[in-house]
Amino acid sequence: MAEKTKKGKKRTPKLSCYVFRPMYATLKETVRATVHRPDTVLYPWEKLELPDNYRGRPGLVIERCIGCGICMRICPTGCIELVEVEDEQHGKMRRPQMNIGRCMMCGYCAEYCPKNAMIVTPEYELAAYTRQDLIYDPFELQHEYKPGYEVSIVEVLPSELKRGVGEKEPGREGKDRPELSDAKCIGCARCAKICPAFAVEMIQVGVSDKGKPIKRPKFDFSKCVGCEQCVENCPRDALTMKEVL
Amino acid sequence: MDLYQFTEGIVSWLVGIVNWLLNWLGFHGLAGWLGSPDVIKFLTLLGESIVLLAVGFIVAITMIWQERKTLGRLMDRRGAMVVGPAGYFQNIADGLKTLLKEYIIPEKADKTPYNWAPVIMIGSSILLLVAIPLSDRFYMTDLDIGLLFIFAVFSITPFAILLGGWASNNKYSLIGGMRSAAQLISYEIPLLLSMVGVVLLAGSLNVGEIVMAQENSVWFIIPQFIGFIVFMIAIVAEVERIPFDLPEAEAELVEGWWTEYGGMRFGLLMLAEYFRGYAGAAVAVLLFLGGWNGPFLPPELWFLIKVFIVFFVFIWLRGSLTRVRIDQILNIGWKRLLPLAMVNIVIAVAIKTLGWI
Repeated sequence: MAEKTKKGKKRTPKLSCYVFRPMYATLKETVRATVHRPDTVLYPWEKLELPDNYRGRPGLVIERCIGCGICMRICPTGCIELVEVEDEQHGKMRRPQMNIGRCMMCGYCAEYCPKNAMIVTPEYELAAYTRQDLIYDPFELQHEYKPGYEVSIVEVLPSELKRGVGEKEPGREGKDRPELSDAKCIGCARCAKICPAFAVEMIQVGVSDKGKPIKRPKFDFSKCVGCEQCVENCPRDALTMKEVL
Repeated sequence: MDLYQFTEGIVSWLVGIVNWLLNWLGFHGLAGWLGSPDVIKFLTLLGESIVLLAVGFIVAITMIWQERKTLGRLMDRRGAMVVGPAGYFQNIADGLKTLLKEYIIPEKADKTPYNWAPVIMIGSSILLLVAIPLSDRFYMTDLDIGLLFIFAVFSITPFAILLGGWASNNKYSLIGGMRSAAQLISYEIPLLLSMVGVVLLAGSLNVGEIVMAQENSVWFIIPQFIGFIVFMIAIVAEVERIPFDLPEAEAELVEGWWTEYGGMRFGLLMLAEYFRGYAGAAVAVLLFLGGWNGPFLPPELWFLIKVFIVFFVFIWLRGSLTRVRIDQILNIGWKRLLPLAMVNIVIAVAIKTLGWI
């Protein structure tokens, strides 16, 4: 209870300390809260204004999505899964489905999406009656796009900031690339079929003993998004991811 | 026309209708008995008490609502606001909720006192309303010793608390009951002594005459300001509100002596608490703030407005102060309030002797 003054003397709080001052403070607060309105927001009817970069549930712009599965790979809670869906406009396609109940709203899927197809939306009222309702299929996951909803990783060095270089998005050249080990490849062209970005092209490199053409994949690294699907689907493990240094 | 005549008129009118009906049916003897003056007087008193209880009930409900809203504003919240206009019917909703709860008696409780303690508490709280006039025409009784009666009934409550606390067979409720008894001896004497000054100045213990004396001179808050301060502190202790709510210290003892009471008894105890709050504020208004005197508005309304203003002070104290310890309340009662009350009596005697009032 005792407080020390500047001179180092101890003094016990007087009546003013624990009666009059709190009474004055509360009266001031009452007058303030009566003249203006209390700070409480009547939630279901009124809502707080959200900040511009608010990260609510992730949303999908289905036209942009190529189904590469990077979001599924990067998701820390593992709530994204690629499922086969069908649409009149696009035909059969693989698109992410999301378990919102597991989602922790980190926005990594939107950050790492190479086509900015995954965006963060300001929606946060996600309660549902059953767990099944929480699993959003790609069409449910769709959300209207507005500029500012996309999130991107920006890279900048402190030294560059001092020199006046602003933040920039890392280009494709800095990302990991698939690399072919020629001896293992059987030329099955599965990588070319699976590639969501159409970056793989089969090129004839020679003729075999029996006279059949030998084909090898050729990667167009300006198109490649680094999704590793070709590596995963290679039947002979001929492809590996190579780190670009 | 006062409350008695008004109620008598209504009762006579109702009895007249019933009598006509009975005569038409052929029960002439019963009709004659019902029309006799004694029966009508009894029915009138019954009706009067119902009116007074209804007034007390409405005032208590309004006080709970006022407390919720004001306390909300003190804490920068909104308070009850959903049920009814500005949340006024929230209390009634809460009352209905307590009504639906099961009433559980603890296995090891002392059954008879456990069941009777709330009855004494609630009964004495309602009895207080009898002695409090709302105006010179709206009253139930006009006792010559009205003030003494009010404080005698006020002092029954600690007995009920001690009884309930003991009978619950629970350490929290027992401590609460004991604290109530200890609190009684600290606040009761300064409370009654601070009242003596007013009684000296008015020359009567009749509540109506005290108000008349204030109407003829000044409100007694002006000559008796020290007494008013002492009275306000002591009456807060009397109605057991923060900072003197030792018997039901929510942070220390679960709910104090109410811990084992549930269901509608809890609801009624809560209501009784506010009946006592109403009575305490009403006594403060009657003694120091000129009772029902005031311009323009009807006297009953003036009285209630003043009661609500005094109750606002109670809420304000509750919102800003901390609970005192049991030794601190004894110190406050005996070392601070008692001398101040004595000084107040000296002032009252001096004013009376010099003939200023």
